Amino acid sequence: MALEVRDLRKRFGAVEVLRGVSASFDDGTVTAILGDNGAGKSTLLKTIYGIYPVENGTVRLGDLDISNLAIRERRRQGIEMVFQDLALTRQQSVVANLFMGREEVCRPFGVLRKKKMRAVALQALGKLGITIPSLERPVASLSGGQQQAIAIARALLDDPKVLLLDEPTAALAAGEVSKTLALIRSARQEGKVVVLVTHRLNDVFEVADRVIVMKHGSIFSDRAVTETSPAQVISEIVS
Amino acid sequence: MFDKLPQPMAAAVQPLLLLTLLVVVFALSAPAFLSFANLNNVLTASATVGLIALGATFVIASGNIDLSPGAVMALSAVVTANYAQHIDASPVGCVVVAGGIGLAVGLLNGWLISLTGAPSFIITLGTLSVARAIAYIASGGVPVYGLPDSALIVGQGALFGIHLPVLILMVCVVMSGFTLRFTRFGQHTLHMGDDAKAAQALGINLPRLRLQIFGLAGALAGLAGLIFMARTNSGDPSAGQSYELLGITAVILGGANLFGGKASVLSTFTGLLALAVLQNGLNLLAIETFYQVLFVGLVLILSAGLRRGELGSWR
Ligand SMILES: Nc1ncnc2c1ncn2[C@@H]1O[C@H](COP(=O)(O)OP(=O)(O)OP(=O)(O)O)[C@@H](O)[C@H]1O
Ligand SMILES: [Mg+2]
Repeated sequence: MALEVRDLRKRFGAVEVLRGVSASFDDGTVTAILGDNGAGKSTLLKTIYGIYPVENGTVRLGDLDISNLAIRERRRQGIEMVFQDLALTRQQSVVANLFMGREEVCRPFGVLRKKKMRAVALQALGKLGITIPSLERPVASLSGGQQQAIAIARALLDDPKVLLLDEPTAALAAGEVSKTLALIRSARQEGKVVVLVTHRLNDVFEVADRVIVMKHGSIFSDRAVTETSPAQVISEIVS
Repeated sequence: MFDKLPQPMAAAVQPLLLLTLLVVVFALSAPAFLSFANLNNVLTASATVGLIALGATFVIASGNIDLSPGAVMALSAVVTANYAQHIDASPVGCVVVAGGIGLAVGLLNGWLISLTGAPSFIITLGTLSVARAIAYIASGGVPVYGLPDSALIVGQGALFGIHLPVLILMVCVVMSGFTLRFTRFGQHTLHMGDDAKAAQALGINLPRLRLQIFGLAGALAGLAGLIFMARTNSGDPSAGQSYELLGITAVILGGANLFGGKASVLSTFTGLLALAVLQNGLNLLAIETFYQVLFVGLVLILSAGLRRGELGSWR
């Protein structure tokens, strides 16, 4: 069920942000992607997830070419993403956010199954060791760390195959970082494909199996974590 | 202070206080106020604005504004009047035509907003002009008078003594209240108004949602046009002038966030009643119309001031 991208290109107007990116990401592997600001890391993740249409190249999940699928369908295939800005709707409840775009409903009128969603949400948060005061509270009333946790819980809610994480620890305090890293480790243990974009070298050397350095929209280096060092990664990023 | 209450009730508390205050004041100063006949009239008079306010609740919940409903009312009144005179005056036929015209303009609004990426304010300001102009052109600038009786039932009929416009409004309040709060469509509407980029990132189909929301608001405005036509016995191209603003006023009095993500039909309805009671009470006290308009403005500003910090304000 590996995830594979071939020759992805993306331009914003005159700027070529992805210049033919090819890579494959294996099950049960955490791949860290590093690179300077504007290197194209978020753009790569968003193209895999479906925010940006694939203009050139392919995205495959196992045997399935998902290049032309809408976000909804990619999510149904098991691709989930945690966004740099979290993508939470802050006046809505925690449950509403956890199930955004994937609500449990009764047909034919799309009546929400609120009880069922509450129960699933409670169980999922419990399993992840996330404690929040109330599922009905608007997300805005939660702390930054709790909001981050909700965003991660949402991505994990439906047992995805691929987890795309864009700076999931950037805004967190130390204790919360280690919790998030623990979640990443257990996702790997469950055999998920994990792609982690981060600026924190510490995170990389704690959880990643593989390090990709991006530069100006291309892959500059791609190594097993055991074959490189923080110093070498830094020098590649700034070189 | 009210955060122990379930959300929609808590949201309705402030307009409810306003409404209660108005009712008490008018009940004491104008004895006729609390009579069944008067309340029946209050609600009948606000049925058209009420339907527009219901549509506006969804539109505002989604972070948009619809300025076209007043003009859609006029277009619907003119076309339905002609239809009733020349083709079919059955109530069902009139409802289908009026609702269909509103739906069509609403879908056009939603489609154009997605197509152009322009703010809904601008697009619906455009369709406001277009719809109003077509109403004038189609009617030659003069109201269509003399409609068959059967076409007037929707506005002038009654059931158990309650006027039909009131019953129609009630049914629509219950249905749209349920829809906003208990269906996926309602939840997606709130998500979109809260943060459209987030909603899109989670796979919600925004263009389709816009069609649904503006289509609903348009259909309700078309229905309001039919009621207006049936109550005045004419297809008047000047019908519904600035009704969209009264509808928006009701939604805001109800405490919705003008920038989206927070709105409730119950609150809108309470805001609508406060508006209606204010106008009716001032009528009973024989206060001139100019002053009524003045009071509506003052109440709106006052209620916004009392809720500072809740309405998506900048402070
Ligand atoms: N929607 C957009 N429209 C135009 N340009 C964009 C858009 N999104 C990104 N860019 C540009 O594309 C380039 C790559 O952006 P991207 O967000 O992928 O970088 P990044 O590697 O994630 O950077 P950071 O570490 O700052 O998050 C940048 O130069 C950015 O300005
Ligand atoms: Mg980024």
